[in-house]
Amino acid sequence: MPRVSRSLASLWRRFWRGLRQWCGDADYESYLGARWRRPDLRRGAAPLSREEFYLEQLNRRYSRLSRCC
Amino acid sequence: MSVPAISKASHRERALRRAAKAFAWVAVALAGAGALAAIAWHRGEPLNSSWFVVAAICCYLVAYRLYSAFLSAKVLAVDDTRATPAERREDGRDFVPTNKWVLFGHHFAAIAGPGPLVGPTLAAQFGYLPGTLWLIVGAALGGCVQDFVILFCSIRRDGKSLGEMAREEVSRRGGFIAQLAVLAILVILLGVVALVIVNALKSSPWATFTLAMTIPIAILLGLYLRFLRPGRVLEASLLGVGLVLFVVVAGQWVAASASWARVFTLSGVTLAFALIAYGFAASALPVWLLLAPRDYLSAFIKAGAIFSLAAGILIVRPHMLMPPLTRFIDGNGPVFAGKIFPFCFITIACGAVSGFHALISSGTTPKMILRESHARFIGYGAMLMESFVGVMAMVAACAMTPGVYFAINSPPAIVGATPEAVSRTISSWGYALAPQTLPALAQAVGEQTLLNRAGGAPSLAVGMAQIFSNTIGGDRLLSIWYHFAIMFEALFILTVLDAGTRVGRFMIQELGGRVWKPFGRTGWMPGILLSSAIIVGAWGYFLYQGVVDPLGGINSLWPLFGISNQLLAAVALVLATTVLLKMGRTRWVWVTLAPMAWLVTVTMTASYQKIFDPSPRIGFLAFSNSLAAQIGAGTIPAARIADTRRLILNNRLDAAVTAILAAMILVLVVEALLQWYGILARRRSVTLHEAPYLATQWPEGFAGTAQGDD
Repeated sequence: MPRVSRSLASLWRRFWRGLRQWCGDADYESYLGARWRRPDLRRGAAPLSREEFYLEQLNRRYSRLSRCC
Repeated sequence: MSVPAISKASHRERALRRAAKAFAWVAVALAGAGALAAIAWHRGEPLNSSWFVVAAICCYLVAYRLYSAFLSAKVLAVDDTRATPAERREDGRDFVPTNKWVLFGHHFAAIAGPGPLVGPTLAAQFGYLPGTLWLIVGAALGGCVQDFVILFCSIRRDGKSLGEMAREEVSRRGGFIAQLAVLAILVILLGVVALVIVNALKSSPWATFTLAMTIPIAILLGLYLRFLRPGRVLEASLLGVGLVLFVVVAGQWVAASASWARVFTLSGVTLAFALIAYGFAASALPVWLLLAPRDYLSAFIKAGAIFSLAAGILIVRPHMLMPPLTRFIDGNGPVFAGKIFPFCFITIACGAVSGFHALISSGTTPKMILRESHARFIGYGAMLMESFVGVMAMVAACAMTPGVYFAINSPPAIVGATPEAVSRTISSWGYALAPQTLPALAQAVGEQTLLNRAGGAPSLAVGMAQIFSNTIGGDRLLSIWYHFAIMFEALFILTVLDAGTRVGRFMIQELGGRVWKPFGRTGWMPGILLSSAIIVGAWGYFLYQGVVDPLGGINSLWPLFGISNQLLAAVALVLATTVLLKMGRTRWVWVTLAPMAWLVTVTMTASYQKIFDPSPRIGFLAFSNSLAAQIGAGTIPAARIADTRRLILNNRLDAAVTAILAAMILVLVVEALLQWYGILARRRSVTLHEAPYLATQWPEGFAGTAQGDD
């Protein structure tokens, strides 16, 4: 039984993480993660705040075709 | 002695496992073939929709397992040791290595629009057989191949766009044609999808109220995400979905109140101008305020509605009341005129092959892909899923009685404007329809009327509502389900409308900036307003023309949209064929050449017929000439002469637009043929513009970098 509940909990965690990534909720964490992993991205400017990143992301995403017919 | 024994046993075990696998795949293939045969040859009693689900799923599984594996291994030779753009240029913004299941969801949400729902619903006028076959076969051999190959090409070129790749690999002119085609398809697409919404909302206070309320809800979410909880998309979207579901229910109280119902009962022309004003506002306002939050809402509702429809069809398993072939295969259909070839293919468009997908496959997706081999699952697999959405739309449309389907989708000029006249006309075609059937159905779904609502959305909503209400709630919830379905269709059409208008604005600013620099600055307010007005004016013109068209607008505009969409698909397949030739895969070039040749044939035939066909219901010129003759003969009342002259002008304009689209494809094909001849005859040096090989540094199990909370 504990094994089943552990599997279910793990499944739920994966689903939740996937959902957050799919809808864009985790974008800021991805951005920080990329900066952490890539030293070249850390050189120069400080990281954007969550709010700055959100606005920058939206302007970039919606200046090209992102939805289809 | 024991080692060979173990090895022998494991060898036998492996062989058994292989045989079991082969047996399972043969069983899947036989089940698919059997279901397809049942769909094709069944006559008499209505066929159960389970056959469609089995046929589609089995064919998709076989196509994915065999054909896409062949494309991946032999034709493209995908290489997982090669670093993808997401690794080479990772920046946490555009280039973000993403788990393949998450990226599949992203890609599917981007490619799935109103096309695979509306197209098959309209094509159901031929019966369920031609459309279903094309949805399955066209996707497996055409649409999925296009999406997969273009995605692969873009991955190998650091995520370059279709236009950039066409310019580099085909010719400068090819790239220019691709860009022009994108702008043309965008304008026509926005006009036609707006017309679908107008036809769904006119004279419907409930539906109009529901959709209107999504605007303040989106603004509320925009403010929440901008000022209260920046970037917390999930919680804001769930809040928004709750509010949207509430306004769907609340719409019935608005419709029941005489004073409020009057406010939200709008004519087609008023709705058209409201949509034009909305498109202008969405394009010019900051993106965080309206466009982005609406897109979040739409993505959640779209995913929920599509999964619910699939579940509903599996649970209810409705019978197909439409025959496999109707009498309208002769080309005299009331929904749109023209024979199966080429109009079934032009009408279904996105559900089988969509040129627009090439823009997504060469847009965001290639920048986020982890491994080259994921392109098969994402490019080929997501298109199979879109095709399945098309099959579900076909099931929903054909599960209705044919009389009701034709009454909802036919214009008054053909079937009449009163229930009695509609019943007489449609019954005379052999599809029984009692005069009281449609008013009773309209009352059951909470509408004043369902007559003459060409465009596919209302009939699809009726089909979906019947499936949903048979699953949950019964007849009591039919009206709620109907308006949920209308809201779902209209919401994500509006998302296409505002996102498309904004992108069109950027394209016009880029073009205008070449002539006058300040116009190209995307933050310059006069430039924003002028370019927004130009793009909105362009699609608004097509929309208005469709709304005042006595034949319902869809008859003219949907084929025009289909032609431009398939033109873009032909552009993408020309590029794919050129790349394969340059890669030295001449032996396998038929995988893209055959669908390209088919699309060029379909597009050119449809263009020719839409311009020159002598029937006024098909040919734009024949229709404008017949109207001019009626004015000349004095049979048009003086009060309607100005409107008729405008109709004549509109039809001549449509003929000119169709001719320009056809000319573009001819120029591109000639250009490509010269290029291919040069390659095959070794008369020109072959330069493949791929990014140089770089070995991946990521370990084998690496599954993406998003650091989401658990």
